[in-house]
Parts: sequence; C-alpha cells; structure tokens
Amino acid sequence: MAYKYLWTPLQLGPVATRNRIVFSAHLTNFAREGLPTEQHAAYYAARAAGGAGLIITEEHSTHPTDWPYEKLIHGFHRDVIPGYKRITDAVHRHRVPIFAQINHNGGQASSMFSRLPVWAPSPVADPLFREVPKAVTHAEIDEIVAGYATVAEHCAEGGFDGIELQCSHSSIVRGFLSPATNKRTDEYGGSLANRARLLLEIVAAVRGVIGNRLALGVRLCGDELIENGSTIEEAVEVSRLVEASGHVDYINTSIGVATASLFMIEASMHIPPGYALFIPSAIRKAVDLPVVGVGRFKDPLQAERALAEGHCDLVGVVRGQIADPDFAAKARAGATDEIRLCLSCNQECVGRMGLNRWLGCIENPRTGREHEWAVTDHVALTAKPKDVMVVGAGPAGLQAAIAAARRGHRVTVYEKENVAGGQVRWAASVPNRAEFGDMIRNQLNECRRLGVAIEFGTGVWPGLVEEKRPDHVIVATGAEPQRPWWVSDPDADESARRVVDVRAILDGSAPLGGPQSGDSVVVVDEIGFHHATSVAELLADRGCAVEIATPGMVVGQDLGITLDMENWWIRASAKGIVQSTDLVPMGFANGELTLLHHPTGANQTRRPDWVVLAVPPSPVEWLYNDLKSLGVSVERVGDCVAPRRAHAAVVDGERAGSSI
Amino acid sequence: MRLAESLPIGARTAPSRVMFGPHVTNLGDDDRSFTDRHVAYYERRARGGAGIIVTEGAGVHASDWPYERAPLAERCAEGWHNIATACHAHGALVIASLDHAGGQGSSAYSQSPLWAPSRVPEVNTREVPKWMEDADIAAVIDGFGRAARLAVESGLDGVEINAGQHSLVRQFMSGLTNHRGDRWGADRLEFARAVIRAVRDAAGSAIVGLRLSCDELAPWAGITPEMAPGIAADMCSLGVDYVVVVRGAIFSAEKTRPDFHEPTGFNIDVCRAVRAAVGASTAVFLQGSVVDVGQAEWAVEDGVCDGVEMTRAQIADAELIAKVRRGDADRVRPCIRCNQTCQVRDARNPIVSCVGDPSSGHETRDPRWEAPAPTSRRVLVVGAGPAGLEASRVAAARGHDVTVVDTDSPGGLASVAGPGGPLVDWLVRECEALGVSIRAGVEPDEWSRLAPSHDVVIQATGSRRGIADYTIGDGAIVYDVADIRRGRVALPDSGDVAVLDPIGGPIGVAFAEELGARAVLVTPDNIAGNELSRTGDLAPANVRLAQKGVHIERRSVVRAVEKNGDGLIVRLQDRFSGEVRTITVSAVVDAGFRLPTEPLPVDRALSAGDCVAPRTLYEAVLEGRRAAVKIS
Repeated sequence: MAYKYLWTPLQLGPVATRNRIVFSAHLTNFAREGLPTEQHAAYYAARAAGGAGLIITEEHSTHPTDWPYEKLIHGFHRDVIPGYKRITDAVHRHRVPIFAQINHNGGQASSMFSRLPVWAPSPVADPLFREVPKAVTHAEIDEIVAGYATVAEHCAEGGFDGIELQCSHSSIVRGFLSPATNKRTDEYGGSLANRARLLLEIVAAVRGVIGNRLALGVRLCGDELIENGSTIEEAVEVSRLVEASGHVDYINTSIGVATASLFMIEASMHIPPGYALFIPSAIRKAVDLPVVGVGRFKDPLQAERALAEGHCDLVGVVRGQIADPDFAAKARAGATDEIRLCLSCNQECVGRMGLNRWLGCIENPRTGREHEWAVTDHVALTAKPKDVMVVGAGPAGLQAAIAAARRGHRVTVYEKENVAGGQVRWAASVPNRAEFGDMIRNQLNECRRLGVAIEFGTGVWPGLVEEKRPDHVIVATGAEPQRPWWVSDPDADESARRVVDVRAILDGSAPLGGPQSGDSVVVVDEIGFHHATSVAELLADRGCAVEIATPGMVVGQDLGITLDMENWWIRASAKGIVQSTDLVPMGFANGELTLLHHPTGANQTRRPDWVVLAVPPSPVEWLYNDLKSLGVSVERVGDCVAPRRAHAAVVDGERAGSSI
Repeated sequence: MRLAESLPIGARTAPSRVMFGPHVTNLGDDDRSFTDRHVAYYERRARGGAGIIVTEGAGVHASDWPYERAPLAERCAEGWHNIATACHAHGALVIASLDHAGGQGSSAYSQSPLWAPSRVPEVNTREVPKWMEDADIAAVIDGFGRAARLAVESGLDGVEINAGQHSLVRQFMSGLTNHRGDRWGADRLEFARAVIRAVRDAAGSAIVGLRLSCDELAPWAGITPEMAPGIAADMCSLGVDYVVVVRGAIFSAEKTRPDFHEPTGFNIDVCRAVRAAVGASTAVFLQGSVVDVGQAEWAVEDGVCDGVEMTRAQIADAELIAKVRRGDADRVRPCIRCNQTCQVRDARNPIVSCVGDPSSGHETRDPRWEAPAPTSRRVLVVGAGPAGLEASRVAAARGHDVTVVDTDSPGGLASVAGPGGPLVDWLVRECEALGVSIRAGVEPDEWSRLAPSHDVVIQATGSRRGIADYTIGDGAIVYDVADIRRGRVALPDSGDVAVLDPIGGPIGVAFAEELGARAVLVTPDNIAGNELSRTGDLAPANVRLAQKGVHIERRSVVRAVEKNGDGLIVRLQDRFSGEVRTITVSAVVDAGFRLPTEPLPVDRALSAGDCVAPRTLYEAVLEGRRAAVKIS
C-alpha cells in the first residue's frame, strides 16, 4: 500500500508538521520534585529523532490544588522553565515541533500530596480517588483561569511551539463540561453553554498570553463512558463552540474518564484497534479545524487508512512509539516489518503509571532510559568480538542474543523446540491474546537483521558446549511446570492425572473440553495474571463448566494494573465462569480437591473432572549449574533465574548480552 | 517514671527508655539517601526526649530496593552524620537500622530478581525470588559488615540488624521461607549468626541491636513464641547489646504494626520470656502497639522489658517523654493507632504523617503553629468537631480568646464514628486547659447573636448527609449512618440490614462488622473496604467480615430502595454483567459520601474541615490549625 496522506505536511496555526504522526500526551512519571527532567528531554528527543510529526508532552499542572500523583510537573512554578528549555531544545534539534499539554485535574485527584482541598465544580467524589472535592467559588474559578494563563506563559518562555488544553479524560474542564460531575446552578452549570463557560474562558485567557506565536489545541472527550456522562453529540457541540471562539488551531480527541473508564482510554489488546475513531470522525464533520484521532494505532498502514477514510487529520500513536521510537522513520523508509510493534499489553507503560513508576516498555528495555543510553550508545562496537552461545529462544534468550550481536559479538541461539518464543508462544495462543506473540516476531526480526544464527531443534548439554567452545554462554532455559505439594502422586492415584498445568491445556496435551464434553474444571490461580483467566476463557469457550479458585482476594488481581480487569469481568460473566476467592488449595486425592477458606478456616471440596494449575513454575537451572561447576564462562537470564514476567526476561537478557 | 530514666546499652547510655523505632517515611531522596526532612523529623523526637532513635532501614546491598525511597546504606554516610549531630545535641542515641528485605522486596526499582533463601513467592505480589547462590550470600553478609562500619564512622552510636518484618535475616531463620538443603538450611540460624558476627566485628565498641520476629504467626513452619527465647539467647551470645521483640512474617505483614483492631501490647508475654532468656548485658525492648505511657511504664516496672519502642506514639506526639518528665503525661496527644497516614509503605510514596499532628513528617515546611500571635483577638469557632477543636486549641495557644460552640456535644462525627474518639477527647481537655470556652447545645440563632461580638469567626460546622444517587420509593426510609451513630434513629431489632458503602471506607465496614450476620454490605468493588489498604486493614477487615458472617454484595451499584410490606427491597445492578438483583432487608443504612454544610451568613469567616469538603480527621486537624494561624 502506498502512503498518500501520512507523510504530507499540515499547518496547525503557526506550526507546520512534516507528517501526520503525533506522539500524543501521556503520563511518564519522569518528573522529580515537580520539575521536568533530563529523562523527559531524552525520551521526547528519541521520538523526534525517530520521525514523529508532532510531540505533545505530558500534562503540566496549572495550580497547587492539582497534585493527583507524586511525579506531576508543577507548571505553575517558574522553576520549570529551564527544564522546559532542555526538552524543547532537544526536540527542536530534530526539527520537530513540540507542544505542552497544560491541565488541572480538578476532582480527579486527592489531597494526599497537595494537603489542600481538591477543587471541582461540585462536591461529587471521584470514583477512583473517593475524596469529596470543594465546589469552587467564582474567585477560585478566576484563579484557575489565571493559572492556565501563567503556565501557558511559562511554556512559551520554555520554547514550546504550542499549548494543548487537556479538557478530556482527567480535567477540571471536563468536570465542568460533564453533567455527571457538574451540579452547579450558577452560570457555570446547567446548559451546555454554561458548562462550557470555563473552557472558553481558559481558551481566551491562554490565547491572550501566547498571542499568535504559538498553536493552541483543545483535547475533548468524545464519550465519557460513564452514567449520565457526556457523549458524542455534546462533544460535537463543544467542538463547534471551541472553533467559534476563533482562538483554537486544532482539536485533539479522547474517550473515557481516566478515573472511571481508563480501560477504554488506554485499551489493551482485547479492544479492537481504532475503536475510538468515531469521535474524530464525528467532530471533523462539524468543524473545519484539524482533528487528531487516537486509540490503539499500531501500525502505519492503519494510520494511513484512518486519514484516507477521512476520520481525522492527524493520528496519535503513543504506545507504538513507546515501543519503537523510530516508528515513523521506519515506516517512511518502507521498512514497516522492522517496526517493533506495540503489543498493547499495557504491562510496563500504562501499568506502571498507577504504581508511581517511570514509564517503560515490556519489549524495549531502553524506553524511559534514553538519557542513560545516550551516554553508552549502543552503536559502540566491541573491540573483541566473542563467540556467544545462547541457550533458549524465549524472550530472555532472544534479547540476550540481540544485545550481544548489537555489540558485534558472534551469536548463536540454540533452541530445543522447532519454534522460538518459549512461554510467550503459549500465552499468545488464547482468545484475544495473539498480539502478545508480536514480541517474539519483533525479536526474531531484530535477530535476523543483526545476523544472529538460531539453531532450532537443538538442545544443549555440557558436551555440546565443550564441542562448540563458545567464549561465553548465556543460559535462558526458562521454567517448567511444577506439581505443587498438595497434589497426590499420579502413580499412586490415577485421579491426579487429571490435575494438569495451564501449559498442558495450551499445548493440547490434556484432552479436555470440546463440544458436549460437559467437563467441569477448577482452575487454581496462584499467579494472579492472565494465566488462569485466559485458560478459563478458553475452556469455557470449549464448553467446560469453569470455576477459578484463588487464595487471593480477587481472581487475576494484576489484571487491574494492565486495565484488563473490567473486560475480564464482563467476559467472565457472559461465559458463566465462577470466581471463588480466599481459597487455599490444601489437597487433591481420589478426585477430590480440598480448599481451605482461610478467613473462616472452613474447608470446602470440589470433585471436578479436571483441575488446571496456574502456579509458579520451576526454573530449569541444571545446565547453568553444570556449566558453572565446569568453569565455563556462563550467565543465566530470565525464568531459569526465577520465574517472572516477560519484561524481567527482556531486561535480564539485555543486561547480560550488552555486558559481555 | 522509669520510662524517663536513662538506660545503659552496650558501652553507651540512652537518656530515656523510649525508642523511636525504624519505619518507612518516604522522606528519602531519589538517590536513596537521607534528607534534611529526615534530620528535622528525627531531631524533633530527640528534642522531645526519645532515648534511642533508630533511623529508617537502609539496604545493605544493591540487590535490595524494596520501595522507591528506601535508603541504601552506601549512600547514607552524610545523612547519618547529620541526623546524629542533630539528635546528639538532645542526648539521644542514634542507631542505624540495617536491612535487606529479601523475598519481601520488590524488583520494580532494581529491575533485578529478588534474592531469598528459597523460591517462596512473596505473598502479596506473588513474585518468585531467586534462591541465593553462595556468592550472593557472601555478598549480603559482607554488605551488613560494610554498612555497620560506615554507620559507626558516620557518627552513629550503633546499628540494628533487622530480623523482624520484611527481612532476609528472618527469612533464613524461618521454616516458612528457608527450604535449603545446604548448610544455610541445615542450621537455619547460621545466616543470622554470620551477619551478627560481621556486624559485631565492624561496629567495634558501638552498639549492635537486633530486631527479632519472635512470632511469625504461622506455627506450622514459622518461628513460634516457644522457640523465640532460645533463638534470642543464641543470637545475643554473639554480642548483641539489645533486642527488640517484634512479630510477623510473610503471611502477616500487617500484624507487625497493626491498627486499633488488634489489642495493645500484644508482644508482652513473648517479650517477658525473651527478657528472661537473654543475659543481663542485653537490653530488651518491647514493641507492638504500645502507645500509652501507662502501659509502657508498667511494662518496664514489671520486668517485661528494659525499654519500650513507642514509634507511633511519638509520631503523634514528638514531646512524649518531655511531657512525662514535666509531669504532664496525661497531656500526651494520643496515638489512636488508625495507621491512616503513618503507614506509608505504599507505591505512591506518601509522606509519613499523623492525623493528630499533621505536621509530623512536614517539620521543615509547616509553620510553628503555636507561636504567639501579635494581637489577641476574640475568636468564635462554630462547630466543635476535630477541625473546630484544633482551631480553638491552636488559637488559644497563640493567645487568642476563644469560644467554641456546637449544637451537639463536642467531638463531631469523629466522636461517634471511626477510631478518633480518644483524639477528640484530648482536644477537648487541651482546649479546657488553655482556657477555651466550650459551649455545647448552642443553637444557630444563638451563635449568630454571638458572632458580632467577636473579631473572627471560624466555621467548622462539618458535613451533612449526601444526596442519594439511587431512587427511594414512596414510604421507604434510608438511614444516614451518622444519625444512627449519634443515636438519633434506631435500627429495627431484627432482620437483615443493607449497608450501602460506595466509599469502601472504615465507617461502613465497621458498621457492617458490628451488625454481624444481619449485615448485607453493598460495595461497588471486588473487595469490601477498598480504601482500607492504606492502613493495612484491608485483608484483616475482610477476614473479620467473613468470620462475623457479614454477607457482601460485590460489584454492585444501588439502583433503588423500595418499600416491601414491613421491610424494604434494594435493587442492585452488577457493574460488569449488568444483571439486576434484589435483596430483601428490614432497614437500609447509607454510609456514602457526605456533603459540606452551608456557609455561615458571616462575612469573611474562616473555614476548616468537612464544611469545606467532607474528608477525614487529617484534613480537619490540618485545616483547623491553618485557620487558627490565619487569625490576624
């Protein structure tokens, strides 16, 4: 497919973009003590260098009452300006414009950090923060408006090319716009014109201070996805009001409310790409201003199509450029296959934001660490190339191979199976999780580009190492299913053969389910992530009656971190999957599973046809131990050190491969 | 009092027998060092008479980074020095807590695997650690020695080895977490001994202390109170100068410093046994919800221990021992063990603080509240809840002439709901001692007549019932939990009671708990008491609810309450499936969000607490202070 639109320039007020790809605003947790950092500068600069058309920074707070999370940039302090300059200089070096998003989160906050009452249109508690806010007075509204103007001035002084007002998913402006949170009876409440009054006052005040030198954009929520919230019809009306103000150069869009329906803002792989396109599409029909569309844009062809079909004028690609800063440049060069595709797994980007940790990427260990890599640049080739043997082609082994090959070492990966991927392959084989497998596709592409040799169907034992005589061995042999102590010995108790690991379901070795089988299954979840829930879904789809039992207080507790919890519950309810909590497995014998309800001490029993285990596996460490005792130069990475998640494997691999 | 007497420890002497123990503060720097905020925080307790200050645990090895602002020993020399200098000026001994959280840490910050004796997953995160290889074990032992040397060289009086909660040393000691087949598993105390030897050797004549979990509350494999005295004696024979008796392990992280649901002084029996088992040259400290001066004094007097760790009590009142010394023990601000703001092992990095003294942790930033005002004013405070009482107390301390009025008896909602009762009682006593005129039962028309004769009016009128976001059918009644708590309305004697708790907070949960099997707790969440995680009470609260037979309707949005014969039906909708179901009850109690009371018709009244926005004790007390210093 030829690109007709994606690489065409666009004028946003005084600012020209060279293409239509926007690195749209998103939290990073890179700020320190309210100030932007070198981490910000290097992070944005990497996306500018990688060809993005426009960068919009994360939000800058406009008032001391707004401090919902620790690492927020306090734009209202003049101290931010040197940090702003560092960011804008770094980005401008690549001739890419950069806008600052400015915002007051309103009632979508707590007083934990500010020690001040939270400000909002009305005393309606936010569903996440659960703190009743103070309804602002007219004097306080004036203070809010003045705060936006002050921060806009700071941004202009700091070298930004434009300002974006976040009025969409976490903002006092949205709070005023939405009938769900605005219960006022004065001229700021009631009719849409009244609810939009604050927005228009802010627009006028900001334009007043930035003049015509900077672009001004407004980001609007197209559907709050909450009860009594605003929907697309109102968003279109608000867009018209914004355009009619004559002060605004573009409209950005979003969907959902960050503290109520976040799972639809930063949707995981379970939600189809392009799911929020109806919003820019409707707004674009109503206004002449350029409109930005967002919502799981994963590849450049999809972006091109959204433009071609007239849904939007610009496309926000955030996670795609978090995973691969060179997304645009690679697409432009026709090397689409080389793009490290985002998985939409949300594990290390979105997932870390709520945990107050810096933004990263499950498959790109450099994301968020650009400021460190700039020092020891990856192109620095080793003076002494070595022969490196990597054992295992899962995510840890492949990343070790990539990192070593990048330094100029000669790398061969040995994989005992006939395919790469390790556990990722199985994780990606369940309903709606296929995109997780792109991780291995991406790694294999990079291995190919770097000339890494992969020997499939070749297990490694000390004799092979002796024969091949590599200079260094990296063991990435992964982990294998483990039978917990509470399951009887299948040699003595035949019923225990119907206790199987999730992997036996995924690789098809356990013959359960199937039309009319009517198999009843208890899935025991001691991991609390996708393992149990995805297998439960698979089995329910195959006609099994499925119950998940967990010692935890909820099934799959970490699904909340990746924004998969809400949709899991919706699907699980529809599929009739029973979720039972606070149950510690105490034994399985003669077909009976005993579960201890630990809060009350009462035992429960089940007699299912099958028990499926989602329990921590056991590291395969014999090869590492043998090689170490033979005095071989050896290191181990990934699950064979300790079974963890895919990102830990990638980080281990990168560290080992780059430090040979 | 014995508490205020000096106590020899090793070669040094503590000026009092009260310890300010090690705890997470989040006052640390991004580079894992101590800050000026730490210095001011500790110095304030030293000035207030603490005998021994044990600084926030510092990791002895880079493999340990359990929370973002956790100090790392190798970066602490300057901070330790500054803390020692500041606290020594008041006579206190300063000890460094040396830590390695092992498998109870986090890989989030280090991006490296956790280290532990065996592959036992961390209970809450379910993260599986790496079992430590010999080189790893040697590195950690060496790290303990290096850290001890650095601490002593930095001017501290000694170090304390953490073998209590969140500790690798305890994980090696315990059958719960040490399943090794090598020499470190054959004798599970061997690792602890090696650490103590390394530290003793490095510390020279300085103090070496040990914080020891004497009850892992998991008798099937853990350390039990029966084993603890023997373990303590074994450890102390290696030259330990003091032992702090604590409890808790991987399955009971919240039991080490629990909130008010646990009794006070829960380690007294095991502490007495440890005192009896170790030699006289080792001082023994009692830990475990000892917040009351009387109980602490008794424990020393009765031979339970030689000294007492009173950490939360000194977060609540930094002058605890100073007040004891001047005969004002009854004026110590009580710790109510709410854990609301002092329990800060939380990824959001909240700063340690206290609902009773919100300036704890903010020593370098908050003003001196009680500094005398330039001009004395006549102040009328309307509302004698925590906000009004604190405003009155601070205003009176600053020299103003204060009258506080309330339609009801003093204390506000805090006196009837939640654990704040002892704090509001203290506020009333302090106000009385400072000459504040407290007038109960004053109706609005009366105080509005009073207002003109005052220079300043502070509004602290609290909250009122919120507006239901569900429909209430004809003839159906929904009670306000505050009205029930105040005794204004009574529940029927029998039948199930729906408790609507959209907050997931302490008030709704406590109410359901008291009703027991009669209660149907309705929550929008997957878990009851969602907001209790901050205090550590989330899991314990759910256990209590289960044990008391409370029925929980999870993931439920309340749609309607309708009359049904003599009773009521409540229509609930599942948040995810959309399924609507009904429950039949005899009464419905709303424990949801509240609204502020209306502003007083007074020009330029100052305001504080729930009448600004209904929140918690912390904001009420803080805003009460702020209002008092705004009087000009």
